[in-house]
Amino acid sequence: MRKPVALFLIALLLLTACSSPTPATSPPTSPPTAAPTNPPTEPPSPPASKELIIFTWAEYINPDVIAAFEAETGITVNFSFFDRNEEMLTKLDAAGGVGYDLVLASDYIIAEAAAAGLVQELDYSLIPNAQDIEPAFLGQFYDPEDTYTIPFAAGTPLIIYDPAKVNIPVTGYASLWDPSLANSVVVFDDARLMVGFTMMMLGGSLNSTDPELIKAAEEKLYELKGNILALDYDTAHEKMISGEALAALMFTSGITRSLEERPDLEIVYPEEGMGFGIDCFFLPSGAANTANAHLFLNFILRGDMAAELSNYAGYINCVATAKDYLPQEVLENKALYIPAEILGNAEFMENIDLAATELIDDAWTRFKQR
Amino acid sequence: MSRKSKLLGRPSFYLSPALWPLIISVALFIVLPIIYIVNLSFLQRGATWGVTDVHTLEAYRKLADPTYFAIFANSLRIATLTTLACLVLGYPFAYTTASLPPGRRQLVLLLLLAPFWLNSLIRLNGWILFLRYDGVLNNLLLKLGVIREPLRLLHNQGAILLGMVYGLISFMILAIYNSVEKLDRSLLEAARDLGASPLRAFLTVTLPLTLPGIIAGSILVFVPSIGLFFISDLLGGGKDMLLGNLIATQLLSARNWPFGAVLSVVMLLITVLLIRLYRVFSGGKSIGEML
Repeated sequence: MRKPVALFLIALLLLTACSSPTPATSPPTSPPTAAPTNPPTEPPSPPASKELIIFTWAEYINPDVIAAFEAETGITVNFSFFDRNEEMLTKLDAAGGVGYDLVLASDYIIAEAAAAGLVQELDYSLIPNAQDIEPAFLGQFYDPEDTYTIPFAAGTPLIIYDPAKVNIPVTGYASLWDPSLANSVVVFDDARLMVGFTMMMLGGSLNSTDPELIKAAEEKLYELKGNILALDYDTAHEKMISGEALAALMFTSGITRSLEERPDLEIVYPEEGMGFGIDCFFLPSGAANTANAHLFLNFILRGDMAAELSNYAGYINCVATAKDYLPQEVLENKALYIPAEILGNAEFMENIDLAATELIDDAWTRFKQR
Repeated sequence: MSRKSKLLGRPSFYLSPALWPLIISVALFIVLPIIYIVNLSFLQRGATWGVTDVHTLEAYRKLADPTYFAIFANSLRIATLTTLACLVLGYPFAYTTASLPPGRRQLVLLLLLAPFWLNSLIRLNGWILFLRYDGVLNNLLLKLGVIREPLRLLHNQGAILLGMVYGLISFMILAIYNSVEKLDRSLLEAARDLGASPLRAFLTVTLPLTLPGIIAGSILVFVPSIGLFFISDLLGGGKDMLLGNLIATQLLSARNWPFGAVLSVVMLLITVLLIRLYRVFSGGKSIGEML
């Protein structure tokens, strides 16, 4: 009897091991320090600690830049990582804004963090390099007065296709519906983006909330299902590089990675209109090392550092002085240098009301279920 | 066990201190989370984030949409196919293993468990490297001249099924192995001596005696296969909405926590129902007792 029971226990252990959804590789996270909550207005105390805790996605910030910052200032940078913006907000909210000195996350979630009172005002006198930020990336919906955010990287979802195998002119989202692309298209596994782009195609906007338009977009999406090879948020570039996918919608970093491996691929600014996203740094309301955080923000806005950061992350650079340090092929990359008149018309995905959000999520569920 | 306690009369309510760790861990890691999930399923969604204190049946009403019925049906279909495939592949494996000399038996079981020392995501990515469009298998077939164009082996339901069977077949094998190991081989010899053909001996002796292992293995495979969502995302190309995916989507991206909780409750009920059914079939014994 004893051995069977032991085997059963092993089986149960396997069961838990095999249903764990996240990789076990734990990044060198630092435990959140139990720091006293500084009111946002209080100036940083002079005998500052030599630590800085940054909360962001893994493999996003160039480690060389971190090393340079540590060497120059003697400050030790520790990271804590999240997988999704939502996870960031949940953790920050649970900790009351304490535990991290800087957070790097996306535009729409920063709007929610600000609404929840989890951000604090920046002291621009400590960030002189902020004057070099390109104006196109300032004054956005999540922070109209630029009081608490510093843009780190920007991106636009674009269409990429294989001109050798696609025999139709690719001009916009509508091209992805072409019958010649059966089982060959990769798009985002994301309700808001995909229903939003389809609404743009039908004459609406990424943030339309009209139930009729959402319904029409859902019907339109059904026609796309036969062309879908995969719905993929993170690794679409692999399918494009291997040649399995003939056309795809991808974020900027995926586009740059695809072009590195396959310079023969073409990219298209969708004629129906483009989405736009900016990831920004902000100081959470309970940041302990505010002086170090400002020092860091000023450091990464230096042209040379900004160039190293965007080369590593593969996103659009937001700092004007970085141009002098960027290689020619980056400056000529259509995904990284988008003409101002096109970028100016790109649209942010903003938070919309709950009823419309639910309609869109349910439409996407039905689309996937088909 | 249950029969014995009946003979001895009702057990007293005194709990030995040795049981406390068990009770505390069950309360902390099983009972509390379930209470939390059930409570969450009755809450109202917050305007942009989280939930409010208002209790409502709103999230349960959503279940009336036939889409969700179709998703349940699809999940149960894939779980059934996974279980059948595990049974067909696992039974001969377990039977052969149990017939080996004891030393080799331990080695086979060790090898069977060895892949679990690696994280399941890494193993699934191994399958992706092997099967993908420019992967090992396609390159090999191209080099051998078997095919001219690479095959699209991933991003379909077959790939999902492969991933599920690969991930869960060990449960089936271990459960059946236990039954076969306890099988009294002299009964088989007796059947053969009395003139039964090998097939008849198998059907009338081996199969009924190993049925408990088959049923236990089937439950151990079926239940987790309803909930595994990342296999469908990684190998199936994320095109299929299974119950596990739906729950993950509602909790992570749609931010509809109450509805995610409702779906979890439904999944829990399906599981409980299956285990009840199992107890009926096995004459009131638990899975642990059957093994």
